[in-house]
Amino acid sequence: MVQLAQTKTPQETLQQWLRAVAIERDQNAFKKLFEHYVPLLRSYSLAREPGSSLLADELAQEVMIKVWNKAASYNAEKANTNTWIFTLARNSRIDHLRRNGRFATNIDSSDLFDNIVDTSPSPFQAAQTHTVQKNIREGLDQLPREQAEVLSKVYLQGRSHQQASDELSLPLGTVKSRVRLALKKMQLLMGDL
Amino acid sequence: MSINQHPSSEWLSAYSAGSLSLSQSLCVAAHMESCSVCQQTFARLNQLGGELMTELSPAIGSTLNFEQLMDSINQQESMAVQTIDTDMPRAKPRGSIPLCLRKFIPVDYDHLQWSRISPSIQSTQLCQDHGGSKVELLRIKPGGSAPTHTHLGDELTVILEGSFSDETGIYRAGDFLACDGNNTHTPVASKDRDCICLVVSEAPLQFTGWFTRLFNPLLRRGYA
Ligand SMILES: [Zn+2]
Repeated sequence: MVQLAQTKTPQETLQQWLRAVAIERDQNAFKKLFEHYVPLLRSYSLAREPGSSLLADELAQEVMIKVWNKAASYNAEKANTNTWIFTLARNSRIDHLRRNGRFATNIDSSDLFDNIVDTSPSPFQAAQTHTVQKNIREGLDQLPREQAEVLSKVYLQGRSHQQASDELSLPLGTVKSRVRLALKKMQLLMGDL
Repeated sequence: MSINQHPSSEWLSAYSAGSLSLSQSLCVAAHMESCSVCQQTFARLNQLGGELMTELSPAIGSTLNFEQLMDSINQQESMAVQTIDTDMPRAKPRGSIPLCLRKFIPVDYDHLQWSRISPSIQSTQLCQDHGGSKVELLRIKPGGSAPTHTHLGDELTVILEGSFSDETGIYRAGDFLACDGNNTHTPVASKDRDCICLVVSEAPLQFTGWFTRLFNPLLRRGYA
């Protein structure tokens, strides 16, 4: 049985565990990551498919296997462990959905994401990641409920803007402007996008 | 290469969230490979995704068991010669073909099966996504124009080679354009070379004006 997630586990500890998995293939560290992340990964899956506990376990298992296999590729300067695990979970979700789509497709998540490399100079990356983190935390704490709701639709429930607009009974333009406002508040946009 | 047109923050965040369709995501990826500004925004948006995920209340009640997970990992490892997965970028693209399209364009543009849809336009379908949306390339001859059209749904275009202009401006390789039902436009390729674009339409194009009859073949290639 999976224990309650230790949500208070600090980021440094999580990174240590992940490094131990990468370098020493440390199964105890991997078990701690398993206990920390499986409940979160399940919640992520349940956010899109409420009630589908089996699917949630499937996604969590798939992601944890990736964590084991790809631990060496994790770069602490570019992303904290939560960001990294999120991208693995997102990709697994995409690949699950494509297998269950109406039409056969040979586009997969690796086509979409594996070739994107952040080319910003690395000496600044760690510091920047830290600042971004701070802005996101502060932003999320102050976000008006209606903006938080739209972000949750898009990021956690995996809804398109159109679906979010239908489910929230809001005009499509309102959904998009709430996303934009929220991102602006957290200072996540570069330039004038 | 200077890029003028980027996906808006709504497009980028939906891409980072994984809530865009696969075909639309492919357009964002094709742009982002050569755009460091969007790469940085993307990294931040992924960070947001990670934070949002950790805000969820953990769902207990998993039937997963750590020992079983290790067993299946060990089985996989004994079956496959272990390759170290480093997520390193693959070889640099040849010419203007984005890496995300290499699977669909194995050699080069000339080796694809192009079909003529007007005297100045050829098209080829690269793939479709799980919802049925088609991913196409359009090749417009120098100085050639696409028929004036409006859109029922979103139409995404990424310019891969050459350039074109329409009522709103001039667009060059790498540029990303999103048009919706509010836009009517008549793209014209520049005179010096072919313009090759990646195009994903959510809904049939709607042709306006007298072009409609002239470009009826367009309507027959599965859009109508
Ligand atoms: Zn860009």
